Amino acid sequence: MSPDSPRRSEDPSAAQQRFLSLFLRSEREIFRYVAALVPNGTDAEDIVQQTALALWENFNAYDSSRPFTPWACRFALNKAKQWIDRRQRWQSLLDGGLAEELAQRREALRPEFEVRLKQLESCLNKLPEDQRSLVEGYYYRRDAVETLSAASSRTVAATYKTLQRVRQTLQNCMDSAARAEVVGP
Amino acid sequence: MNLAFPSREFDDAVAGVCHGTATEEQMRGLNHLLHHHAAARDEYLLRLELHSRLFSEPDLFAPVGHESASPVDPDPGMVPFPPRPETKWAGWRWVLALAASVALLATGWWGSQRLAPNERTGATSRAVAMLERVVDAQWNSRDEAPRLGAPLPPGWLRLKSGLAQIVFYSGARVGIEGPVELQLVSSSEVTCPLGRLVAEVPAQAVGFRVRTPAMKVTDLGTVFGVAVSGGQTELHVFKGSVDFQATAGTPQQNLVEGRGAIAQGTQAPRLMTANPAGFTSLFELQEKSSAAEVVRYEHWLAASHELDQDPSLLVHFDFEPGNSAKWRLPNTSRRKDTAPDATIVGCQWVEGRWPDKRALEFRGVSDRVRLKVAGDYESLTLATWVRVQGLDRQINSLFMSDGFAPGTIHWSVRSDGVLGLTAIGAAAGQYQICASPPVLTLDQFGLWVHLAAVIDGNARRVTHYLNGVPVGETTLKIKPPFRIGLAQLGNWNTQEFPRNDPFMIRNFSGAMDEFCLFQRALSGGEIRTLYSAGKPQPDLSRPDRN
Repeated sequence: MSPDSPRRSEDPSAAQQRFLSLFLRSEREIFRYVAALVPNGTDAEDIVQQTALALWENFNAYDSSRPFTPWACRFALNKAKQWIDRRQRWQSLLDGGLAEELAQRREALRPEFEVRLKQLESCLNKLPEDQRSLVEGYYYRRDAVETLSAASSRTVAATYKTLQRVRQTLQNCMDSAARAEVVGP
Repeated sequence: MNLAFPSREFDDAVAGVCHGTATEEQMRGLNHLLHHHAAARDEYLLRLELHSRLFSEPDLFAPVGHESASPVDPDPGMVPFPPRPETKWAGWRWVLALAASVALLATGWWGSQRLAPNERTGATSRAVAMLERVVDAQWNSRDEAPRLGAPLPPGWLRLKSGLAQIVFYSGARVGIEGPVELQLVSSSEVTCPLGRLVAEVPAQAVGFRVRTPAMKVTDLGTVFGVAVSGGQTELHVFKGSVDFQATAGTPQQNLVEGRGAIAQGTQAPRLMTANPAGFTSLFELQEKSSAAEVVRYEHWLAASHELDQDPSLLVHFDFEPGNSAKWRLPNTSRRKDTAPDATIVGCQWVEGRWPDKRALEFRGVSDRVRLKVAGDYESLTLATWVRVQGLDRQINSLFMSDGFAPGTIHWSVRSDGVLGLTAIGAAAGQYQICASPPVLTLDQFGLWVHLAAVIDGNARRVTHYLNGVPVGETTLKIKPPFRIGLAQLGNWNTQEFPRNDPFMIRNFSGAMDEFCLFQRALSGGEIRTLYSAGKPQPDLSRPDRN
């Protein structure tokens, strides 16, 4: 085999399209599933990438009568654990079955989370301009923290701290908005 | 570390986990706390959920104003276009190591959340055509009005009045004049129960079929008109020839240029002289298209000359042979000292993106363009315009350095539509395949597409682009410098590797009409500019209203 040999040769386009359409629909969910274990964006992406490859390689075994996302998340959990196993720091965080525990508990909490996260967009819009632009730079444009720091004349540590505070502001806003919705005007 | 909950230490540790900056001690502390404190665990999960939601829902950051917003004279009939993605999330991002033998390298992908629907369809759509141009078009109000530039899936187009031009993915171009009903069946077949159309069918779309209640027309490389009303079908051949068969069951007949036929119900078809009078407005529409193509070509020519001034451009083949020898492909960049003119082996000169543009067609296993580029580079950018005819080989070469020499690169399209950039490492057997998801699909065969790969040795990243949009990003693990040495467009010289292995046969099937190699990493904006300067169709986000 030469290095860039193809992996499969059977009618790739039909399977590929089917896979892509399923994967695209589930992708954000898989990312969030992984990010509940390894929330650092770049690392979570790495794991989603590895998951995608595993899913594509095992796509023949996928039973199309069953939902795709749970099937995919099983692979994601495995890939996340393999990833964690190679990293001492993350092992200390997720040791002792905490990874599984978190994944399960998150499943249970999701409806409750959704109630609050529904408010996220309007809460984002209420942020002062400089905070919103920081959040946008970090999460949306995926700028390096060093870049964001330079742009806002903050230190890197202060930028991280500001991000932390902005998330807290967002969380408070979502909480009160969600409460207001339950109680009514 | 013993963490309390709630506490500032807890807050900091969770933030550190989100940012990837938490210390091992903080992580251990969290582990202990989350195991034993249910409320802390739920709060932890909520914070992570918010964090991951911000990452994964770019729609939250709804763009304010976009390029389709036209400040003047909004056309009420024109639906605005979705915003173009502008961020790193715009593209698919993955790193994919494919061969089972590749164990040492990271793998994976990350799909885009932000592809606008008309861009995403490339990968998944059933689209068979695109609405290229409209003039005063009034669509049937019951149907959703098709958008200019939008891919059209199989289905009905009902135009009450006005003109519209549709380009099929097979390459056929059909102009329709309202009132008309047209059913798109596939990229090479339509049904027309009512109305008037002119079909212009280039060589690659021969076999295009039009069915009406009274006849079936099969194109043999032509321009022909069809008019259907009251169960009667008129067929006029203006150029080339067609085969037609009346529904009445008469044998298939051939009609040549200047001839026509009328068929109705069960009567045998009557032959007549073709009469262009009824199709005047449709011809004008086609002519306007041709004029627009000339303008596009001239724009590209100007942009292309300007591009040649860029000192980082090592190789530029504009595939405009001019007076040079037939076997020579001139490098029009200022760096001829580094990369002399290339040699054409085999290949055919054919039409490029526009009728006046030349292109080289690669078809046979020996067709290739040979070149040599001297020097070592930290970063490289490759860009090309190609019309893919088929992905016949498992690896279809766009541009490959000969053999597997250290630091060299292979740029190719895999049979399943994956764009691949292989970087060969310095150590024996070391290499990395940086691959996009499968983005080149049947939909795009026969159409001109812009492909680019940016090898950024400084940022350690390889990014693939399709039509100016990033479609895959890979962390590069092979270290610079990169080099080209002896290389080929559209083929590969295996050097010492066995030639009879099917994986080693990598000839490209299709045409190429521009190729650039830069000795730096172009930005996403620059790739978009290259694409915009050369795209064959007018800018779809600013439709030409005529």
